[in-house]
Amino acid sequence: MELSQEAVIGKLSELGVEVEYRDDGSIFAVVKRDKVRAIARSLYELGAYFMTCVGSDETQLRGYLSLYHIFGFDKLGLRVVLRVDVPRLHPSVPSIVAEVPAADWCELEARDMLGIDVVGRPVKRLVLPEDWPEGVHPLRKDFKYDTRPPKQLPQPEVGKEVGLPLGPYHPALHEPEYFEIYGRGEVVEDIVYRGFHVHRGIEKLAESERMTYEDIFYLAERICGICGFVHSSCYAQAVEKAAGVEVPERAEYLRSLLLEVERIHSHLLWLGVVAHILGYDAGFMHTWRIREKVMVVAEVLTGSRKTYGINTIGGLRFDIDRGRLAKALSSIKAVREGFTRFLGIFLSVPQIKSRASGTGVLSRSEARALSVVGPVARASGLYRDVRKDYPYFAYREVSFKVPLCTEGDNLARIMVRVEEVMESIEIIKQLVDKLPGGPVRGRPREIPPLRKVVAAVEAPRGEDVHFLITGIRRPYRWRVRAPTYQNIPALRAMLRGAPLADAPLTIASIDPCFSCTDRAVFCDRSSGTCRSIELRRLAGG
Amino acid sequence: MSYLKLLKVASEVGRVTRRYPLEEGLVTEYFRGAIRIDPTRCWGCGACTLACPPNALSFRVDGDEVSVEYFIGRCIFCGRCAEVCPKDAVEITREFEYASTNLQGLVRRVAQKASRCRLCGRPVGAEAEVRSVAEAVRLVGGFAGICPDCRARLLAEGLARYHPRRA
Repeated sequence: MELSQEAVIGKLSELGVEVEYRDDGSIFAVVKRDKVRAIARSLYELGAYFMTCVGSDETQLRGYLSLYHIFGFDKLGLRVVLRVDVPRLHPSVPSIVAEVPAADWCELEARDMLGIDVVGRPVKRLVLPEDWPEGVHPLRKDFKYDTRPPKQLPQPEVGKEVGLPLGPYHPALHEPEYFEIYGRGEVVEDIVYRGFHVHRGIEKLAESERMTYEDIFYLAERICGICGFVHSSCYAQAVEKAAGVEVPERAEYLRSLLLEVERIHSHLLWLGVVAHILGYDAGFMHTWRIREKVMVVAEVLTGSRKTYGINTIGGLRFDIDRGRLAKALSSIKAVREGFTRFLGIFLSVPQIKSRASGTGVLSRSEARALSVVGPVARASGLYRDVRKDYPYFAYREVSFKVPLCTEGDNLARIMVRVEEVMESIEIIKQLVDKLPGGPVRGRPREIPPLRKVVAAVEAPRGEDVHFLITGIRRPYRWRVRAPTYQNIPALRAMLRGAPLADAPLTIASIDPCFSCTDRAVFCDRSSGTCRSIELRRLAGG
Repeated sequence: MSYLKLLKVASEVGRVTRRYPLEEGLVTEYFRGAIRIDPTRCWGCGACTLACPPNALSFRVDGDEVSVEYFIGRCIFCGRCAEVCPKDAVEITREFEYASTNLQGLVRRVAQKASRCRLCGRPVGAEAEVRSVAEAVRLVGGFAGICPDCRARLLAEGLARYHPRRA
């Protein structure tokens, strides 16, 4: 059967679900608890990707906690949002992980943050720290945003040896990720990720009386230190959809332009890190030298290298004049020239190819099951790009291709990103060329409460999803799902059975804002010993 | 061996690291840095303190003085204060070197003389603001110098005189 919107709606009504179609290309449906697994399975089998799930405390509104499962039919540009109502007294809901493996993390997050029990799957704490008291769920509405509950320390096991956690818990160092790699000899058998060491409670803060719709742009921009503009744009998209605000064309063009500037600098940063991990430090320095020009472009366009601070509801806070654009364009052209020249050299380094090809392979089927996003998906042969599938801002007006590889290895992920840099440069040229005149900010409108919207933007690392339930003066619930959230679970598939020395490059290959401070505990199952090593040292062999 | 071409690139590019602080031009002319509040223009209305997303600007009433306090340690350099200032008193500078040996070095304050309510004597805001509002909007007249509570009381008393039976 040809996949179409009617087919999806038909399938849902066959399963006894009443659907509500919205003209922004999304379907909302309320689903009974006992039916959610069957419905999730048929949606996934129909070809939907899983975007995320969102827990929300709606006891003040309807007397229920709610869990929203968001699916996306990329080919149709259609999003399906299933709402499951969960009574507050017995908040349990069947897990859909068996049907949709990609739902693993977000279910656990809803369990931690809202106390929604997901049954029929192994559970553990994911987001909340170990010393957080049982039964306190920070995203419940009766939990005040600045409360600090007393710490409940886990019973320490007293042993003769003392382990010192070093590195991953250090909040001052960026990107505290922590991997436990289990191996037999030099072969990785399993990998366990522990993260959320620096969970900042941004979603809770956004719904507190401390914030307004306007303030959240600056908060959203600080979710990520590399692709902050993606988050503020995605939030803007959500609010503008909810309020029905018209965004002037010029603002849409300029937003797209800045998003591409951000993609270029992010990919170049990553490419430099890859060179560094592989011991090619000269390559690292030259990539970053080229990248520096892009940072200056951002400063020329917006006044700031990183946190642009230019988005607002209905467009941009200020216009970018012709002089600035001309300067930016000539710099971008110079970047293209310099990067093309350097790339030939980079790819001719024999170690790059030999270390990257055939390592960290993610098969197409595994990529599909985990609904991975961005370059990771595209390197495994999945044609997924929010800019094409759910066009936003000015991406309908430019022509560009989506680089695709089928090998699914580290080299494929390098090549996809390298080609994306070139595509982004072409997009920028087209956007500047076609840039329409006129205002950059639409007429503000009141934002009606309790509208629900799904917004997505293609970040350098993949699809960034914001789910918004509007409130009064500020969001009632604002859920952010960054791309890395979707990609980290794929690391297990990439690393199982691989030599230990490939681990650093493979972990870096999903571009998880990698930092050199990462440490791994390496446990050798054959001898039963554990030792802590820096990931960088592993790479050195 | 084509990767050795990098040597040629390196020799052509030369040194790119700037000799900071001896060399100029670390930031472009478009850079958005710390703000400067012009004390001769500021009338102490506090609009900027309401707009500031990270609360880097705060409004203080201290006896006979009202002040806008700027703490650079919290500033995110978004420039929203300059956007909302009714008097164009906030200038966005290119300043980015804020290092200080003590916390007070990161605090800048613009103080104004406080205006007191003509009736109850409690501070109602900056004198400059009260005066300017009274000048700009003739209709306000003498009411500008009266605090909101006293204004409400005056109104109630006025209504009572007009409709004595309902009082």
